[in-house]
Amino acid sequence: MIPDGYANLSTLLEHQLAVYPEHRRYLEKRFKDASPEHLRLTDELAGNVLRIAGDEVRTICADYKWMVNWTLNEELYFRRNGCYRLSKFADAYAEVYSNIPLMTQYVNGILASQIWWRNHTEVLGYFRDTFVAGNPKGFRHLEVGPGHGLFLQLASASPNCASAEGWDVSPASIAATREALTRMGNRHKIDLVEMDITKPPARQFDSITFSEVLEHLEEPLAALKSLHGLLAPGGRIFVNAPANSPMPDHLYLFRSPEEVVDMMKEAGFDIVDTLFAPPTGASLEQARKQLLSVSAVVIGTRP
Amino acid sequence: MDKVAAIIRDMFEDYDGPVNDALTAEQVPDWDSLAQVKLMVAVESEFGIRFESREINEPANVGELVQMIEKKLAKK
Repeated sequence: MIPDGYANLSTLLEHQLAVYPEHRRYLEKRFKDASPEHLRLTDELAGNVLRIAGDEVRTICADYKWMVNWTLNEELYFRRNGCYRLSKFADAYAEVYSNIPLMTQYVNGILASQIWWRNHTEVLGYFRDTFVAGNPKGFRHLEVGPGHGLFLQLASASPNCASAEGWDVSPASIAATREALTRMGNRHKIDLVEMDITKPPARQFDSITFSEVLEHLEEPLAALKSLHGLLAPGGRIFVNAPANSPMPDHLYLFRSPEEVVDMMKEAGFDIVDTLFAPPTGASLEQARKQLLSVSAVVIGTRP
Repeated sequence: MDKVAAIIRDMFEDYDGPVNDALTAEQVPDWDSLAQVKLMVAVESEFGIRFESREINEPANVGELVQMIEKKLAKK
């Protein structure tokens, strides 16, 4: 399934298939026709996932299997009703965020999905090669909701990055990101701060990442407006949010990737570039027709 | 069976093999767990029935799915 020369990816795949053999057909589809460039990117990211996982790689892979099956009920609800099951943060907190063992499994599953879901990998590649690579020398970087730490690792590794911070409302998430960065061997000084962006400090950054957070919010527009205030004039923001992506804690339904673009404009950003990444095995056209999850990435700037 | 076959043909455009009672998900390249959910919801809509969550992955082949539909229609 994977050609020689991609040792990290091959190792992770071996672990994944050991605990989830029935996923082989999907994974064959995932890597069928993958270009050497895409395989190099995926192999590099798989290396980071392996470093984060340490000796718990089988657990990470088992939790990915669990997450895939766990979310099928949300898919069922979405297909029947045309909306997400939950819309209130309090309900997501009661069902998901307050359950620490469940959250651990969920975060592990999301980490593995960065490798196994083509759109997730593609977004990370676009982040590295288009967003981070386009930032000027000496940029001050902020990520809100850094989670697994893969984006923060890529941004802080840029030779142009002068400083990097990660903000999250959850102390547990901050601790998890810190541990992930340490395991990835990150040698840059990164401040990880407990912060609620609805009450932002009077500071500004040249570069902001906001990946897979909007869909978890009751009022995503208010969050984007807050980030607009945190972005220095001429700075760039990377927003990634999925359309039609039913998960147990997704509250705000973007029915198309264009709705993310429109919300960015409404928050005051000028649009620099977009990437609409369909899921494994589907074209963007098929994803639109079948209401499959599409990662909508928007790079904006503050005029 | 004809209606179920039409749904399957519509969902799996790239599959051009036979659609009969013996057909299983393994024989259709794009028939994964997500496609199974989509198929069952399409069947619900077509026949005006409702599956329990535990029934979504129950049919082992198309023949068993047709039997499940017939049982639910008989109870209506």
